[in-house]
This record gives sequence, structure tokens and C-alpha cells, in this order.
Amino acid sequence: MDSSVEDCSSDTLRFMELAIQQAKLALNNLEVPVGCVIVEDGMVIATGRNRTTETRNATRHAEMEAIDILIEAWQRDGLSTSEVADKFSKCKLYVTCEPCIMCASALSIIGIKEVYYGCANDKFGGCGSILSLHLGSGEAPTSGNGLGRGFKCTAGIMASEAVGLFRSFYEQGNPNAPKPHRPLVNHQAGQ
Amino acid sequence: MSKIIYIPDKLPTPPDQQPTVNVFAAVVEPKIINNLVRQLNQIVPLENLRHVKRVQKKHLEDGKIQIALILCLASENNCDLDVLPPCVQELVASHKLSAFITKVCKEAATTKEEWEEQCKLWPTSYHPPAYNIDGITGFNEVDTQSIFGFMRLAIELAQSSSKSVVNAAVIVDPSVRQVIASACDHHISFENASTSNINGETSFEKCPKSLGSHFDSYESIIHGTFPSSSSLAKLKQSCADVSCLYPLRWFDQPLPHSSNSCCWHPLRHAAIAAIESSAARDCRLFPTLETVGDKSVEMEHMDLLRKLAKRQKIDLDNANNNENKVGTDGEGTYSKLGRPYLCTGYDIYLVWEPCIMCAMALVHQRVRRVFYAFSNPSHGALGSAHRLQGEKSLNHHYAVFRVLLHEDVL
Repeated sequence: MDSSVEDCSSDTLRFMELAIQQAKLALNNLEVPVGCVIVEDGMVIATGRNRTTETRNATRHAEMEAIDILIEAWQRDGLSTSEVADKFSKCKLYVTCEPCIMCASALSIIGIKEVYYGCANDKFGGCGSILSLHLGSGEAPTSGNGLGRGFKCTAGIMASEAVGLFRSFYEQGNPNAPKPHRPLVNHQAGQ
Repeated sequence: MSKIIYIPDKLPTPPDQQPTVNVFAAVVEPKIINNLVRQLNQIVPLENLRHVKRVQKKHLEDGKIQIALILCLASENNCDLDVLPPCVQELVASHKLSAFITKVCKEAATTKEEWEEQCKLWPTSYHPPAYNIDGITGFNEVDTQSIFGFMRLAIELAQSSSKSVVNAAVIVDPSVRQVIASACDHHISFENASTSNINGETSFEKCPKSLGSHFDSYESIIHGTFPSSSSLAKLKQSCADVSCLYPLRWFDQPLPHSSNSCCWHPLRHAAIAAIESSAARDCRLFPTLETVGDKSVEMEHMDLLRKLAKRQKIDLDNANNNENKVGTDGEGTYSKLGRPYLCTGYDIYLVWEPCIMCAMALVHQRVRRVFYAFSNPSHGALGSAHRLQGEKSLNHHYAVFRVLLHEDVL
């Protein structure tokens, strides 16, 4: 959350609109509605939506899906690791919700250039809410041993639309949520 | 001596050095207490001090009982009684109280020792942690040996690649001592160790060394001896390729000439790959319930299955306590009704303390306990650079342990 809504150019809104569409696809599939697009030189080169329920893998967030598409494609094209790193350093991510701690760290590892997000994530947010991984370690951005590279982060793009999707999701109920919560089970088991 | 050390949620502070805050208090007559407490709770509730009791009862030397009451929070700098809020000031005046400033502990006690120390200042309430994860208070001999065995397995895996030492992860269902999934770092793997299909699922059968899931196949490792001191030392020295230790090093890696044989992924750290593998196993063992048309029926059905699964889990735990676990036929351990919810109830063994990405992935996947052998000073997220297990806002918390193997040689 380096900067608030200052850069709401029509391009930014257009890309976020595409991310929202991805989130709606997730919602239609009974997934937590988060979507994203990755943009290089003004062109969308990958999209992603949350697929945690379908894959039974709670790490398959929209960002991870989109990143994997690119790594797979670039690897198929025979790009080297440094060429892939170079590619990522020119990419911008538009995602409907603040990247979680895991995704923020992943974005720092691949060295994304810039992130635009919709609503904040006050339980897991890794770009200002809980941790600020987008700030990096303050070391030279190319350092191979640094604590993490930072990236520019802009919050609040079409946040109300993103929140609206979450609301619809929780109204229809999260079929994937465990109930009762596990500690209760432990308790019953007398452990 | 090898041992298992619990890594607590927060850096321990000596019980007598807990942070405090100032409050206004006053000695009051017993007969007005109830009334006064009710009024104070309404006008100045002790919002962030729910563990602090309003009332302090003191036995004086002459046998009498003195009762004091917290009026409201006081500022840390300005201890002037004039700064009492007007509504409190009013109460103080009408009951002719003489307010004074005292200290109470800022945070709820997490241990009995902390609580006893807190009560010397002002009484507080103490609720032992709501979740009770096995092992925080210690392990019995059988569990200890089992933990050493699984850590030994992870260390073997970490050295199994011919090229270099990497991090390795083993996910275990402790109720039946069964390996659910295992993986090594794939971030710079040169062999086509694990093929990933378009859905991002790793095919379990193609994992390096083709690890089965029944623990019998590991018996020689689990019940074997520890790696020799020299091999442990070697492990520590040659860890330049461990992804969680050097997460940003991936793009410096030289690639072999034939790029066809190369399969690398900067984010496929051991823990992430192991989660992927366990999710793939889940999908394979418990294929999606295809019901015709009605989604709500399907959801109801899933809910029922989940409840049954929990019940069965409890039975397994109980059975485990009473008798030596009888052999289980590999992946057939759970019937169709025993579908797990992510990695709920499972443990993960990692050779190196995970980075923040992996540590958060383990939160998402609902792992119950994390065991690691070596700490990760610059990127470790479970005690070194961060302490994610103590992040209160998260919706799941696991217990973290460090397994020290042959301490003297590390």
C-alpha cells in the first residue's frame, strides 16, 4: 500500500475489470472469488483464478495459477532462468484482493515489477495488512542473497466490486469450510 | 543427544518482565461494588484488557478485606488525576472515592508462571491455550522415536539427488504413522523429476525415488541409525541449492545444455511440492462426488462425509492410544468416508526451516505440526526472520518444533 488510488487510468481499470471477470469465474465454480491477470507491455499474457476447492490444494491461489502458466510457457519456449527473471521484471499483476503472505512472497521471489489490487486482506495480507513483503529488504534489487525484492503496490482499485463478490460467496456459503473447527475435534478426542 | 524443541508462538519474556499499562483505580466499599462495576463496564469498558479483572481483593494485616476497583485506563505519560474522563470523574465524586494509579499486565498470560507473576500486580484471568496440540508439553518415548525416524527420512531424501543437497518435505498422518506425501525442492531440478500437468498437479507416482505411501517401505530408514556426523556436517556445508535458504538464487542457476531434460520452477520449494502431491493423492483416493444436477445435494453429501471423516479420525486416534497400530493396507487406510480436509491433523517434516512463502502455504493447507532440523537464519519464517505461528490474525495455527539431531556435530 505504497500509494492509494492515484493511478486509476483507464488501462488500470480495464485490467482490473478482467481480473474481476476471473474472480466471477471462480465464484461460479464455488471457489473463493479471487482473480488476476498478468500484463506485459500493455498486453494480458496470463490469467488466473482461485482453484483451491477443485484441486484440494489451498495454495492454488489466482496469482500462483497465473505465474505457473507463464513459467510453463516460457520454459516450453526454451527461455533460460535469467531470461524468465527478466520477463517477470517487466510484468504487472492486477488482482482483485491483496495478495496473501504466501503470494506476496512468491511475487517477490519471481521479481514482479508492480502489483495493483482491489480490496485489502486483513487476515492474510502480505502487502501491507499483516506483513509488508512488497517493501522488500531495502537491499539492492538484484541481490541474490537479499531478504526479498520489493515491488510497487497500489491498493484500492475497484475494491467495492471485489468485496461484493466475497459477499456473494459467503452468502451462498463456503462448501469447503470445515465445521466444527478442528481444535474442537481434538478436544472431543481427549487429546 | 538428539532432542525435540518446541518453538513457541512468541519470543519468551521472563515472567517478571511482562509489559504493563497504567490504570486508574480506587478503594471502594463492598456494598457499592456491583453497582459501580456495572456502570463502569458501560461507560468505560476495558476493551483491550479483557484478561484483567476489575476487582482486586486484598487481605489486610488486621484481618480485614480491602477491595479496589479499576476505574479506567490511564495515560502512560500523564499521570495527573485530572485527566479522568468526566463521566468517571462524576462517579468518583459522587461516591467520594480517591483514585490512584496502578499497573496491570498488558497481555493475557500464556503460561501459569506468567499468570502467577501478573497477579502480583493486579489479578488477571488465565485461560490455557484453547487449542491443545500434542507435543507442546512434551513427547513420550514412542512418539519421540517416530519423530526422529521421519526426520531421518527427510534428511535421506534431501541427499537423494545426485546433483546437490536440497530441502525435503515429508507429510505424515501421525494417527497411523503413515507417509502421505513427500517431495524435494524442484526449483532447479535438472532431472525430469516430477511432471506437472496443465492443472498444476504433480503426478505422485513420478516423484523422485518413487516414494510409496506405506511406512513399511521406509522401515529401514525410520528404524535405522542417524546419519553419521560427517554426513550431517556435509549436509550443512553444501546447502547452496536449498530453495528456502536462498529463494532469490533461482535465476542465477546455470542450466544444462539440453533444455529438454530440465524442469525448474522458482516457487516449487519442497513444502509446496509436497502439498501438491498430497492434494493429488486426495483427489485420486477420493474422486469428486459426481451427482447429477443439484449442487446443494452434493454439498450436503460432502458435509456428511466430512463429519463421518472426523468421527473416524477420532476412532483412529483412540485405537492408536490403546494398542499397537495394526498394519494398514497402504492407501486403503481410509474408506471412502474418510476423506481428509486438506492436511488437517497431519505433520510435516522439513530438513530446513521454511521460508515465509512455504510457511504460509502450510497455514493454508491446515498442517497441524511442523518439524524442522536446521534453522534458516535469514529467511526462516518459523522463529528466525519471522514467527508466523504467532500471527494472531491467521485462521489456522500449527505448532512448530525443531528436531535437533546429534547436537554436538551441528
